[in-house]
Amino acid sequence: MKQLVQTTLLTYFLGLFALTAAAQDKLTVSGYVKDAANAEGLIGVSVYSKETGTGAVTNNYGFYSVTLPKGTYTFVVTYVGYQRQSRTVALTEKDVRLDVEMTEEGRDLQELVVAARREDDNVKNIEMSVNRVGIKTIQRIPALLGEVDVIRSIQLLPGVSTVGEGATGFNVRGGSIDQNLVLLDEAPVYNSSHLFGFFSIFNPDAVKDVKLIKGGIPALYGGRIASILDVRLKEGNAKKAEINGGIGLIFSRLSYERPLFKGKDGTPRGSFIIAGRRSYADVLAQPFLTGNLKGSQFYFYDLTAKANVRLNEKNTVFLSGYFGRDVFGADFGFNWGNATTSLRWNKVFNNKLFLNTTAFYSNYDYSLDSDLRRKPENTNDYFRTNAKIVNYSIKPDFTLFLNKNTVTFGGQALLYDFQPGTATAASAGTVRTFGLNSKYALESSLYIGNEQQASTRIQLQYGLRYSFYQYLGPGEVYTFGPTETPGLRSRPLLGTQTYAAGETIKTYGNLEPRFALKYDLSASSSIKLSYNRLAQYVHLLSNTTASTPLDVWTPSTNNVAPQLADQVAGGYFKNFGGGDGNLFEASVEVYYKSLQNQIDYIDRANLVLNKYLEGDLVVGRGRAYGAEFFLKKNKGALNGWLSYTLAKTERLVDGVNANRWYPTRFDKRHNFNAVLLYDPQARSDGSRSRWSYSATFVFATGTPATFFSNRYDFENIAVGTNAENVRNNYRIQPYHRLDLAATLQGRKRPSKKKEDSWVFSVYNAYARKNPFSEYYRPNPDNLAQTQAIRYSVFATIIPSVTYNFKF
Amino acid sequence: MAVLLPVLGLGGLLSSCETIIDANIASGSTQLAVDAWLTDQPGEQRIKLVQTANYFNNGPSTPATSASVVVGDNTGRVFAFTDPDNDGVYTWKPAKIGDTTRVGIIGRTYTLGIQYQGNTYGAVAQMPRATSIDSLIFRKKTITPVSKEEGYRSEFYAVDPAGAIDYYYLRYYRNGVLQNRPQDISLAYDGAFRGSANTDGLTFIRPIRQSLNPEKLFALNDTMRIEMRTITAEGYLFWELLRSQLQNAGLFATPPANVPTNIRNITAGGPSAVGFFFVSPVRTRTAIVSNETLRGGD
Repeated sequence: MKQLVQTTLLTYFLGLFALTAAAQDKLTVSGYVKDAANAEGLIGVSVYSKETGTGAVTNNYGFYSVTLPKGTYTFVVTYVGYQRQSRTVALTEKDVRLDVEMTEEGRDLQELVVAARREDDNVKNIEMSVNRVGIKTIQRIPALLGEVDVIRSIQLLPGVSTVGEGATGFNVRGGSIDQNLVLLDEAPVYNSSHLFGFFSIFNPDAVKDVKLIKGGIPALYGGRIASILDVRLKEGNAKKAEINGGIGLIFSRLSYERPLFKGKDGTPRGSFIIAGRRSYADVLAQPFLTGNLKGSQFYFYDLTAKANVRLNEKNTVFLSGYFGRDVFGADFGFNWGNATTSLRWNKVFNNKLFLNTTAFYSNYDYSLDSDLRRKPENTNDYFRTNAKIVNYSIKPDFTLFLNKNTVTFGGQALLYDFQPGTATAASAGTVRTFGLNSKYALESSLYIGNEQQASTRIQLQYGLRYSFYQYLGPGEVYTFGPTETPGLRSRPLLGTQTYAAGETIKTYGNLEPRFALKYDLSASSSIKLSYNRLAQYVHLLSNTTASTPLDVWTPSTNNVAPQLADQVAGGYFKNFGGGDGNLFEASVEVYYKSLQNQIDYIDRANLVLNKYLEGDLVVGRGRAYGAEFFLKKNKGALNGWLSYTLAKTERLVDGVNANRWYPTRFDKRHNFNAVLLYDPQARSDGSRSRWSYSATFVFATGTPATFFSNRYDFENIAVGTNAENVRNNYRIQPYHRLDLAATLQGRKRPSKKKEDSWVFSVYNAYARKNPFSEYYRPNPDNLAQTQAIRYSVFATIIPSVTYNFKF
Repeated sequence: MAVLLPVLGLGGLLSSCETIIDANIASGSTQLAVDAWLTDQPGEQRIKLVQTANYFNNGPSTPATSASVVVGDNTGRVFAFTDPDNDGVYTWKPAKIGDTTRVGIIGRTYTLGIQYQGNTYGAVAQMPRATSIDSLIFRKKTITPVSKEEGYRSEFYAVDPAGAIDYYYLRYYRNGVLQNRPQDISLAYDGAFRGSANTDGLTFIRPIRQSLNPEKLFALNDTMRIEMRTITAEGYLFWELLRSQLQNAGLFATPPANVPTNIRNITAGGPSAVGFFFVSPVRTRTAIVSNETLRGGD
């Protein structure tokens, strides 16, 4: 099967190269589109000819290519928030290279809300179920403790939710948090949270573009079944040196960017950016930490860096890296962090074929230590565990621009090294080490996709991805028998087999078809349909209500099959209002998802350092469906968006909930978000207020929880019992919250480069005690009495102030 | 995980709070619940039988009366437990005062049989081996690292017997009163935490040695009595899960998991029962906080 698919794909690739050579009576214009202020490549800029109405969109590196019959054309280059440009190009003798620099609009027009590409992108782009959030929008949304945050911002989009405040990650269309592929310059990030989820690891000063794909996922992407969060870092200002920074209550940021490698003509051939953040709660608290707590650690930091150099017109190399860490604890504590490095090489073979090759390394590790401070008196007595997941990958991605077709093809090889945990314990001088062996796997994939203008009204996007997974030795492999009571008891161990290094233990292969269609109803409205199948070979195991940094990532093995998702979605898209009919964007989308091999656990499964964990897992099916409504105003003094999601997500697991469907932990029926940004217009005398304002409101149905139905006493302690093993039989109170922010721009002094601003924000403005969870337990003062508890993370109003500067 | 929350609070980051709320939940079907923990101590032994109630019912539980309760061991001894006052507490005591017959003897296997409302329930438990508590000392401490309040933290020393996994349940009395807060229940697996390194045959690790009075320090001249009961693997799981029910809190609260039971309904198709049947050796050590038992250091 695998062989056949590979051969077929290869033949297809070769055929495409032949096509490129054939079109001789046509000529091509191609090049990069960049921001005039800092020479950052612009993603998704529309370049089209006025005469034919056809054109192309720049790819993730700002490259585009348009092929047309010989002639002279006027190309219009448009991007929301930037001044429209027209260039006349004579395509008469040879192919033309046209690099374009675009200038941002003035302050009045630059309120790019969700940064669409073209102004009518909502309707005209074949993509559906995709949201882009411009970093400028993210920076204006009121934030917790004044820290603007990528993940918190995307939680305001339709179809995206979170289990609660402080919960790691986010849920997309009824998927669990491990079903989102979070990419930082194409390297996967396994834990996108700082401080358990209150902040994300992305430094807003270093982020250029954030794109969330919830459905109609193109063949280019694979490996997770719910969504792709593609975060692209800035390349660094290639025109002049720039320093950005901010001082907030919880942490401070500083970034530096500048051009690199000035050529003979004085133009730089590259640039870099380095950006860092560190929390300083511990620094501020230090004077109060005396005695035992002296030297307590609770901080997090991250460092993001990226450099690029243009070797020549056809070759550009990018190197990006991220390193972040969280450390919490006095004596006993936790330590976790991600590190990623990606090296990318953009090669323009000719004006139609573009290749990006990415090689990346990603490492996520976490540890638990009884002696975080390594006290000398504890050298004979301590306990520590650590675990990690390491990835190495290479991934070539080709883009071929043909007349009316944009073909993407490529592949990926991804090597996983799971180190599920080692523990060291020392007691009265005797040291013992105990650990689980590493698990290795190789995930290889090949894909091809095409975006095609089938007729003036119909646009298609279709593709196929084949993923092939090998669970590799060395390793000890366990086989388990069927359990006597499904869902309740561990499966019995039948046998153990040992495999040598490099031996294949188990393979899985999946064909993942992708399809999308757009039909233009009119110039300002369209309908879109999509289907995709996705496969996922890694799984995050968690047995707490909220995910913790210590949850266990585990590969697919002989006992754990890969997760599969099939999604169909349909939508209606319309723009209206304003002079150009693009003042408002509206969309309605519906989706249905069917999920296979969803992991659940038997009650009381031990996830930590458990050799036989796979015998404690149970597998079920999932389904999720819903409708998403989105209305957005792009321009004017008041802009922003409203989104409403009606959704349901359920599971069916043998032996759980009396074999009936039950809502998942992140099921939320209603989810409403409002984001309002207000920037007063200039007064009649031309002066304008230095203040601008923003507000967000969120409402969501409470998440379900499982409560014990009955109790009895043992040794005068109330013991709970769930007689029928029902799941999620209780729903906690709804969640709602209002946040406000006001920004004061500093006075501009004409002679100074410096710009600054103060951001004042109020989180949870009406001090609602939103439930994070509701649970029950015996009264700690009288264990024979039971009680129900609501736990709120932020039970009060949280004001904050941040000072930002740039020079 | 509970250790995190004070640390976070210290950072001034969170203003989390717990509110007690009214919650209603539908009851499941009523079951027989067994509370039986026999020991190797001489004198009266008790087994309590009740019917399960709605989780939020904090009234007195309904006793399971008119049951017939018998315990036997693998050497053929039989002990009949009776409930003359009809309160669901079934007792056995030696026939006359001064009789030192013990129900629990290390290494023997015990069977519990209950006839109740037309069903026959059974449970089997082995009485595991024990180890002694070699010493009990105290060290001067502040109650939390930030507190000025000083007191004495206990540390006991015991050596885990080598050759097999031993499971321990530990509790303590302060001036004769059993301390019964959730954090007062201490469990040990080969003298360490379950899932940590192989500590078979080692001295109990320090976190376990110091685990008994975590947030409530002793004063000078207080008396502390430690009670150590060894239990079976299934019994350990019972206590581990029950303790996590008691300590369920905050960000990392876990969904409920039924604690296991070793009570089986032998009657075909009959309702299952809950609760547990333990038979344990009890080892104790008592010490007074005084100059003789005080030590320096951490």
